[in-house]
Amino acid sequence: MNLVQRLRSTLGLSVGLFVALGVFVVYKGRQAPGVPAITADQVATALFIGLAIGALYALYATGIVVVYTTTGIFNFAQAAVAAFCAFLYWQFRVGWHWPAPFALCIVVLVIAPLIGLLLDRLIMRKLEGAPFVVQLLVTVGVMYFMLIATGQIWPPDASTPRRLPAFYGTKNVDLGPINLTYHRAIVLGVAVLVAIALRILFRSRLGVAMRAVVDNRSLAALTGAKPDVVSAAAWSIGSVLAAIAGIMIAPEIGLDPANLNSVLVVAFAAAVIGQLKSLPWALAGALFLGVSRQFLVTFLKFGGDWTFARDGVAPVVLLLAVLALPQSRLEVGRITRNLKPIERTSKVWESALGGVVLFVLFLTLSGGWLHFGLWDPGSWNQIALNRANEALAVAFIGMSLVPLTGWAGQLNFAPLAFAGWGAFLHLRFVSNGDRETVSVWWLLLIGVLSAPLGAAVAMVASRLRGLYLALASIAFTELMARLFFPHPSTGFRGFNTFVPFDVFGWGLVTRRQLMMLLVAILGLAMVALTILRESRYGRRWIALNNSEAAAATLGIGVASTKVIVYAVSAAMAGVGGALYGTAFGTVDATRTFTLELSIPIVLLMAIGGMAYPVAALFTTFQFIFRALEERLEQAGAPGWIVKILEFLRVFGPGLGAIGMVVNQRGAAFETGRQNARYLPWRRDAKEEFAATKAKAREPDIGQLGLSAPFTPTDLVAIERRLGVTDELAIGVRHGVA
Amino acid sequence: MALLEVDRVSVRFGGLLAVSSASLTVEAGTITGLIGPNGAGKTTLFNVVTGLQPPTNGDIIFNGRNISRLGVHQRSRLGIARTFQKLEAFNSLSARDNVLVGVERLSRSRRSNRSVHTVADEALAHVGLSELSHITVGTMPTATARLVELARAIATEPKLLLLDEASSGLNDDETGQISELLKRLVAESGVSVLLVEHDMNFVMGLCSKLYVLDLGQVIASGSPEHVRADHAVQSAYLGTTPPSTADQAVTA
Repeated sequence: MNLVQRLRSTLGLSVGLFVALGVFVVYKGRQAPGVPAITADQVATALFIGLAIGALYALYATGIVVVYTTTGIFNFAQAAVAAFCAFLYWQFRVGWHWPAPFALCIVVLVIAPLIGLLLDRLIMRKLEGAPFVVQLLVTVGVMYFMLIATGQIWPPDASTPRRLPAFYGTKNVDLGPINLTYHRAIVLGVAVLVAIALRILFRSRLGVAMRAVVDNRSLAALTGAKPDVVSAAAWSIGSVLAAIAGIMIAPEIGLDPANLNSVLVVAFAAAVIGQLKSLPWALAGALFLGVSRQFLVTFLKFGGDWTFARDGVAPVVLLLAVLALPQSRLEVGRITRNLKPIERTSKVWESALGGVVLFVLFLTLSGGWLHFGLWDPGSWNQIALNRANEALAVAFIGMSLVPLTGWAGQLNFAPLAFAGWGAFLHLRFVSNGDRETVSVWWLLLIGVLSAPLGAAVAMVASRLRGLYLALASIAFTELMARLFFPHPSTGFRGFNTFVPFDVFGWGLVTRRQLMMLLVAILGLAMVALTILRESRYGRRWIALNNSEAAAATLGIGVASTKVIVYAVSAAMAGVGGALYGTAFGTVDATRTFTLELSIPIVLLMAIGGMAYPVAALFTTFQFIFRALEERLEQAGAPGWIVKILEFLRVFGPGLGAIGMVVNQRGAAFETGRQNARYLPWRRDAKEEFAATKAKAREPDIGQLGLSAPFTPTDLVAIERRLGVTDELAIGVRHGVA
Repeated sequence: MALLEVDRVSVRFGGLLAVSSASLTVEAGTITGLIGPNGAGKTTLFNVVTGLQPPTNGDIIFNGRNISRLGVHQRSRLGIARTFQKLEAFNSLSARDNVLVGVERLSRSRRSNRSVHTVADEALAHVGLSELSHITVGTMPTATARLVELARAIATEPKLLLLDEASSGLNDDETGQISELLKRLVAESGVSVLLVEHDMNFVMGLCSKLYVLDLGQVIASGSPEHVRADHAVQSAYLGTTPPSTADQAVTA
């Protein structure tokens, strides 16, 4: 990546947007009477406030860049750590009335580095050499865990909302005509100090070591750098920057975990402008984002239908930044050969059998024929059915990730964006009449109409790989959630009722009928995916995931193949979205199809094993636990049992994703490997299990003579391993019968 | 007419000239070797021919057509197949599926009306992997996975086959087998082969023409005997003391 390219893309982008903004501001200033003209003072004030906000973004982006350049791990948890530290500071400063300097020191200099050290020690260091998707999803898991923990420790309190005071209250620095609060002036100062400190650090011995370690950990170790010290230092610095950023930004945007975490998108945009490695460029990007946001807020009055459009700035910039930067070509030599256990995917008839079993199970349970004492007919039944329907619809949406992420390796945080599109189609074209039901075949049409959206995304994103692709999908989800879904013309505002389905004129209007439809569709989709996996498309997608370069040299068009797999995934998610709307009955769609809710789906799919359709059942776990809690509460079970279930439910996705440090291939894979031998027709699994067991009993030949003594039995084992087949001769020679 | 013509190709990585105005030709129905010390630019040149690496200068002429502007998959469809020095097998797929991925996009006429499965099984039989066709490639030893890559490449029935260190990691027996297989392929299907090799016995016995690359430049070409005798080649491989350092040593 040479300098000219970088200048052209980044600077071109920034200057272009700045000029556009400037022209707009001047134009507004000369507008007809009635609209107040914009004065130079206003512009200057907005500029300074914008710079202060940009400085806050810069603190976030810097933390991400420092960690990424030294450890190679892109930290999704940066803003979550910031949020946690901001709350902690609130607890000390406001809750316990500690003096500000003392509270600051404790949070920023003691607790934050400790969080960084723990993250490094317990989690991140074990990710070295892990597949990229696992590395990324584990940090997303940490993010999710931290946010939930923050929300649980400091639950929202409606009567007295928590507020973090700005430093020096509302006092202003006197800068002539410009109004700048002390707090913002301090923010600017801190950002400058941090920039200088990092500059000095990166030039130091440790800084050089930090940059060497990311390229090759073991090689750097040979030259005397201490990789463990370096990565611990990087994570600590990252956490300290997060703490500063969180404490400084909370007075500006409010003390709310979700709100504090939403800064992440802006921080990503700034970091991407710095190509994830240049601190000065990330700083410039952050300042630019801050100023443009402030200008938009001050001078641009979005009218009528677009009052919410301000929220769309960050994702638009993130998307532009990701797309504008030069991307890598097809690369060779990136495959790491780690021997994998043998894998046998389900046969079509096996997954069909699974689908039938699922169907019968649901039919029996919901009919109350088998109730285990838990399943009383009555009001709870209806609630349970609701939960089941929601769960099944979400599972279907989760399943859309199987071909796209599980097979083709395209990490996608946008399943709910595609789902929202499907729900929109359902609402727009079917639900606005006085129709009672609509034929299930309409779902196929929704799929067909959703596929082009996926194809369009693929075309835009086809140059992107790995991390940049994941970021683009985040930007896309945010764009849909913040610009498209809230727009009045979608009809999503408020609560909407989705029209239920009918099969050949037989209306499926009750909760139970809808549930059986959902189970049937889910089962069919599982079978369809199994067929697809064995087809030329499945092979091709997996091939693309393993090596794009090799696939291309076999004549496979990488871009067109991606378009197809995105289209398939979007079609599935679109159908899932329509089902989701119908399952909930009424949906406030602006709060449903968001990034926040996409993330647990992606995490649960990964925990289940993204490459296996059956992993979709894992996405239902939150709903199942919820239903159980409700039932137990109703039945008067002890409170602590309910609490435990609730704890597992809310922390499950985060903890499970962090657990991928150990189990990278997901629970579906492990479950299959452990239990396939119990299936009567899986002779191969039985044999494999027996072979593994036999091998475990054999002595470790490499250790003989070192930590284990030679015995006649060992010698026999060695000769057998060497292929000496004359059993009798062996036995005689070593005196073993 | 030559099947492949590499015309004064240069590749520059920042300040490093990896390939410097290199030209070579591969005649139809022959096996041509490309040898040279480590870092000579052999693999880079392969990447240029297959389209993975855009050249800074120069053209690639294939079958009389300038393909320099074509994408990787388009070149493959014209009949260029390759293997990789650092394995690029599809690790999560079985050996058979690896081969099928390539075969499945061939038109029915290119497969002479045989089913994709027949073509794939034949290719695997060619390299002696029929028994292992259902095994996931990620679990195979490197040498075996290398054979899968070879089967995958020949199954697409290419006009030009580029082999990057096909024999590395194989024992003498296996190398001999590959050698026989290539000779048979060239005789039967008229494929042309360009191979990068370290194993000199392998190269000398197999190739009708050799090119020697050193520091990105073609320093010698011709028949194996001719190249073996070439002074520049010997110094590139064995090294010579540059006169200037010797002089300095004396004056100091």
